[in-house]
Amino acid sequence: MNRRIGSAEALSTYLVLAAISVAMIAPFLLMVSISLAGDTATVQMDFHLIPQEFNFDNYVRVFTTPNIDIGRHILNSLIIVAGSIIGQVVVSSFVAYGFARFNAPGKNALFLILLGTMMIPGAVTLIPQFALYRALGWLGTFAPLIVPNFFGGAFNIFLIRQFIVRLPAELDEAARIDGVGPLGIFWYIIFPLIRPIAVAVAILTFQFNWSWFLEPLLYLQDANLMPLAVAVRTLSATTSAGATPMWNLVMVSSMLLTLPMLLVFFFGQKYVFEANISGGSASIK
Amino acid sequence: MAASQTSLSDTSVIRRARKPLKARQRESLWFYLIISPWLIGLLLLLAGPMVYSMYLSFTNWDLFSAPEWVGLDNYIRLFTRDRTFGSAIGNTFIYTFLYVPLNIIFSLAIAYLLNKHLPGMRFFRTVIYLPYVVPVVATTMVFRWVFAPDNGLLNGFLGAFGIDGPAWLLNPSWVKFALVIMSLWGVGSSVVFLLAGMQGIPSELYEAAAIDGASERHHFFRITLPMLSPVIFFNMIMSIIASLQTFTQVYILSADPNTPNNAIVMIIPYLFDNAFRFNRMGYASAIAWVLFVIIFVFTLLVIRSSSAWVFYENEMKR
Repeated sequence: MNRRIGSAEALSTYLVLAAISVAMIAPFLLMVSISLAGDTATVQMDFHLIPQEFNFDNYVRVFTTPNIDIGRHILNSLIIVAGSIIGQVVVSSFVAYGFARFNAPGKNALFLILLGTMMIPGAVTLIPQFALYRALGWLGTFAPLIVPNFFGGAFNIFLIRQFIVRLPAELDEAARIDGVGPLGIFWYIIFPLIRPIAVAVAILTFQFNWSWFLEPLLYLQDANLMPLAVAVRTLSATTSAGATPMWNLVMVSSMLLTLPMLLVFFFGQKYVFEANISGGSASIK
Repeated sequence: MAASQTSLSDTSVIRRARKPLKARQRESLWFYLIISPWLIGLLLLLAGPMVYSMYLSFTNWDLFSAPEWVGLDNYIRLFTRDRTFGSAIGNTFIYTFLYVPLNIIFSLAIAYLLNKHLPGMRFFRTVIYLPYVVPVVATTMVFRWVFAPDNGLLNGFLGAFGIDGPAWLLNPSWVKFALVIMSLWGVGSSVVFLLAGMQGIPSELYEAAAIDGASERHHFFRITLPMLSPVIFFNMIMSIIASLQTFTQVYILSADPNTPNNAIVMIIPYLFDNAFRFNRMGYASAIAWVLFVIIFVFTLLVIRSSSAWVFYENEMKR
């Protein structure tokens, strides 16, 4: 659209976008403001958009107060996230390589099934999976949250497959002539070349697992094992009747839950936008 | 999907012509070997559990004793005697039918503004996208204070215009609107998709229309919107599927004794309570399958209707 834009139109566009941006930023500011509130203001629930106090020691207290111990929950989140990323990146790439580079009877049907599984609501498998993990003795461990990633994820497999299909097949051919087997071709040729999409998958896996709520709540059962997202909600639930939650410390924890997501977004947005848009447009055409 | 299928069959035609039988068998073997992790996961974590869940929905099971076969009882009870389930379905539908269209309208409007070639648009795009990356748990925590009846952010803002805002999360008739507003805070994700779609529309289309003297409104409704319809379609399916499965916000807010639970209960939170608070695994499985059918029907309806309103560029060439 190479239309010339008049100054009145430019001004009104900026005004509307600025208003929307203020609405988008205000909740962030409120989160920061409450996280810096003192205990008296918290008990009185006297919160303001613009911070009235600056109790930065709130950010220390969540680590040093024994029954909050946010450090432990951050560590739990990191363990779940790291395990999931390794599983998703390696296994989803490998399976995607199979779909992109090999032919076999039944392949097209399997690919359609792969796409179809993305539409199935997790609710229909939740109860049997819970029973399965219970029978395996996995409840109260990280295994039910990490191990399934080592079977690959449908959306990630699809994304990576779209990427591999666009790599020239001559690369594989040349290596094959040199006597490299299918596994060697994956490890030495394909895997190094798919780095942009692998990074995107790692970021998406981080984002999903870092904010994951339902299954950790269900499978871990022990308050000490809970990831940060679940710990934030535990902290916000009143322990005794009539007591008010420590909203300032709840918001500190919410900040700690949000900041890594923002950081990962800033450093990884390039990869994720490209992957999402190529994946998204490929799947609708 | 059509594009990916053509590329699949193209390569297979070339390879099949070249390769002898034995090489082809070896290739098939490699294919199944390489995809085996996913295949095993499909059987163990998806297909198997789905069959078992279907079976469980016809039983009473408390997780400890053996499941007891009750035929269609769970389904009959859901639809005839369980009023909370009726509320859960109603609330989920109201939320979905408010959120999905509003999300499309707002994201279209914002993407339209961002697509004007003015300096600083990248900054606005980032700011508008940011809320989407905030975990729902953190969003829910802060929005309790956005929606606080007396000193909340939203009512403070409305108060500046002399409007006496409702109690939002504490009011049965407003709580669903509050949930919709909270979700719309994350509109940025759809904005980014639509914006990418808008930037992919060839500028010749607008230039040709401009020569014909088309107005700005014509540009939007006759070119932008039809060209974007595949992106809107994809967005719509994904957001319907996600909205019907809303859980975290509702679960967290329900724990507050002041929340009007009957006005906020939705399908997945109700399933969760039945399964993991009351140990009614069979009943909860029946809820899961009702949800499955609902999602399936909605997706099918959107896909069926799409031929009437989704426009694909390659249709022109035929």
